[in-house]
Amino acid sequence: MTYFPEEVVEHIFSFLPSHSDRNTVSLVCKVWYEVERLSRRAVFVGNCYAVRPERVVLRFPNVKALTVKGKPHFADFNLVPPDWGGYAGPWIEAAARSCVGLEELRMKRMVVSDENLELLARSFPRFKVLVLISCEGFSTDGLAAIASHCKLLRELDLQENDVEDRGPRWLSFFPDSCTSLVSLNFACIKGEVNSGALERLVARSPNLRSLRLNRSVSVDTLSKILVRTPNLEDLGTGNLTDEFQAESYARLTSALEKCKMLRSLSGFWDASPICVPYIYPLCHQLTGLNLSYTPTLDYSDLTKMVSRCVKLQRLWVLDCISDKGLQVVASSCKDLQELRVFPSDFYVAGASAVTEEGLVAISSGCPKLSSLLYFCHQMTNEALITVAKNCPNFIRFRLCILEPKKPDAMTGQPLDEGFGAIVRECKGLRRLSMSGLLTDKVFMYIGKYAKYLEMLSIAFAGDSDKGMMDVMNGCKNLRKLEIRDSPFGDVALLGNVAKYETMRSLWMSSCNVTLKGCQVLASKMPMLNVEIMNELDGSSEMEENHADLSKVDKLYVSEMEENHTDLSKVDKLYVYRTTAGARDDAPNFVKIL
Amino acid sequence: MAECKDSGRSPSSSMDSSTHPVLSTTSSGCRPAARRDDLSTDLQLGLSLSPASSLLVAESKSIPCTPRNRVLPDWPPIKPFLRSALTASARRQRTLFVKVYMEGVPIGRKLDLLLLDGYDSLLAKLRHMFKAFITYADVMEYHQRVPHEKAAHVLTYEDQDGDWMMVGDVPWELFLGSVKKLRIARTDKC
Repeated sequence: MTYFPEEVVEHIFSFLPSHSDRNTVSLVCKVWYEVERLSRRAVFVGNCYAVRPERVVLRFPNVKALTVKGKPHFADFNLVPPDWGGYAGPWIEAAARSCVGLEELRMKRMVVSDENLELLARSFPRFKVLVLISCEGFSTDGLAAIASHCKLLRELDLQENDVEDRGPRWLSFFPDSCTSLVSLNFACIKGEVNSGALERLVARSPNLRSLRLNRSVSVDTLSKILVRTPNLEDLGTGNLTDEFQAESYARLTSALEKCKMLRSLSGFWDASPICVPYIYPLCHQLTGLNLSYTPTLDYSDLTKMVSRCVKLQRLWVLDCISDKGLQVVASSCKDLQELRVFPSDFYVAGASAVTEEGLVAISSGCPKLSSLLYFCHQMTNEALITVAKNCPNFIRFRLCILEPKKPDAMTGQPLDEGFGAIVRECKGLRRLSMSGLLTDKVFMYIGKYAKYLEMLSIAFAGDSDKGMMDVMNGCKNLRKLEIRDSPFGDVALLGNVAKYETMRSLWMSSCNVTLKGCQVLASKMPMLNVEIMNELDGSSEMEENHADLSKVDKLYVSEMEENHTDLSKVDKLYVYRTTAGARDDAPNFVKIL
Repeated sequence: MAECKDSGRSPSSSMDSSTHPVLSTTSSGCRPAARRDDLSTDLQLGLSLSPASSLLVAESKSIPCTPRNRVLPDWPPIKPFLRSALTASARRQRTLFVKVYMEGVPIGRKLDLLLLDGYDSLLAKLRHMFKAFITYADVMEYHQRVPHEKAAHVLTYEDQDGDWMMVGDVPWELFLGSVKKLRIARTDKC
């Protein structure tokens, strides 16, 4: 091997863009491992239980930016019971001991306490960026700690967290000396904020580029703030109800007009239709628009706004927009790359004004579309086949028909052919989520064509184990597989056990896997944590956390024996590869095999 | 004040717009500053609270064992933040005002049932409004066993068929879907 001084090697490594590239070079030899680990600045941990925090911080003592993800994705839909885990504490504590140079922390689906935030605020003198997404467990007191102690704070980005409101004072804890803010997002804070404190904070933050307010901020406050932020690029408004006078709105428009750099707009809490025209002057410059919190605007209001947004690349909207409105989007927003249409009515088998027609219109009008999340009333194979031909560039395709197992609305057939067309035509597809009536055939297509698929979400689909096995055997790049309410059982679970070591995780809930199947998996694959959770946990008194291997061997050998407990179905199964062994923070209802 | 839009305008979809719950709430959303007293007790609720919706009953395949006006916590798959934001918005716009009369009292009251979360809070609210001890189906059976605690009044309601029924026999959500008026009757006449 050619000898280079370590500084040169380190410099070469700095050009490597991705974590996986850096991981790869660290495997070449001991010297490179050492150089790589000491110069690593950003570490990404996709599953907080895959590795011990101490091990990460000891290997990468000079890390500046740490990203950790906790609960499985289906936790977003209330499928993971509360207190399952995903605690931020061990990560923050480990970093506080070994990586005091930490500047950025990003966490998703984790449980973060006020004490954790306090420790974070006090332990890292150069801390700059805190991003918390879909986290819980903390209150505005924790935010106050961050505000007071992080003197160099640049970004405080709180996205869709469940934050306990302990009053508006937290915002006042930003000291007068804090002038470094670039991004502030508190849209998910439920309570009031002190508008005077907010205005003063914005006034002393000349670098502010992104500001997302919460529901409590009035139009008047917003106008006053916008006067101070002519360089704002991303704005989340406060509430835009019509309790205000026209003058307030006129002031708002003139303030908005000065924000020539504004590209992205969100918020619109409780937006009244009369506020919509006041936003028109901005529309032509917008590349991103999020109207998903605004059921008060109907398709007429929405289309008047959207038809003016000719540069739009990203649109998030409620299904109030209807198919007709989506046709307007298709004819106006030729640069559209990402579309999300959310349901406004989520009663069982709720109604939606959005069907396959809207999607077909979008696909023919917006050929650059690469990312889709679409909740709709119904779908057809013909529509999906057309969409696949029109938009072969899909990277993310998530379709949710509101009524589970609904067949093709025209033919009554399963939607296998439609989704088959999607995976066949969209060769770069990385993420897929399906719904409607689906048989094993669609999984055969997925296994055959979806070569780059990394994440697959399945609900109420398939006929037999063969479906899941086709996916496990065919999708070489599969990292995350999550399944609910589908008839896959032990044969599928155990059909390709080596595959799980190449994946981040598998989730199965309300399927046909049994306790015995899970035990067999656990005994064959010691590198995996096999977690089971049962609703009616009658058997929890019997065993401690780990089934010891001898017991498992006996059960495996005596397959002939009628053992009703082991043949009982497992409600929820979560399997993930790990170097950390069984976790010690699991609650009673989680059994780790 | 916002011009109230005609809820007859229809999106071009296969859905009948008058059953679309968001459209029906949008029309009331046009007048958010309107005071509650102005809203009629005949306010048409969205599909979600009326069990017998013609179009969707015809189309739907049944999701096993779940009444049509229930909300599941895990379906559709949307994030909790969006779910609660939309629910909060919906609750702010939706009202279900019903008239309440007490037998022997000519002037009635009005009550928004959507602000209550069940029969117990309904009874508590009415007891407070009318300063009387009122009972209903479940509680009555208890009182029949313990005669000296018998209440003087019982709560009844008029349903969509025009029949007068005792409050408390059906699940709360179904009750909300069918109640038109409330009447506090004297028990000795029941």
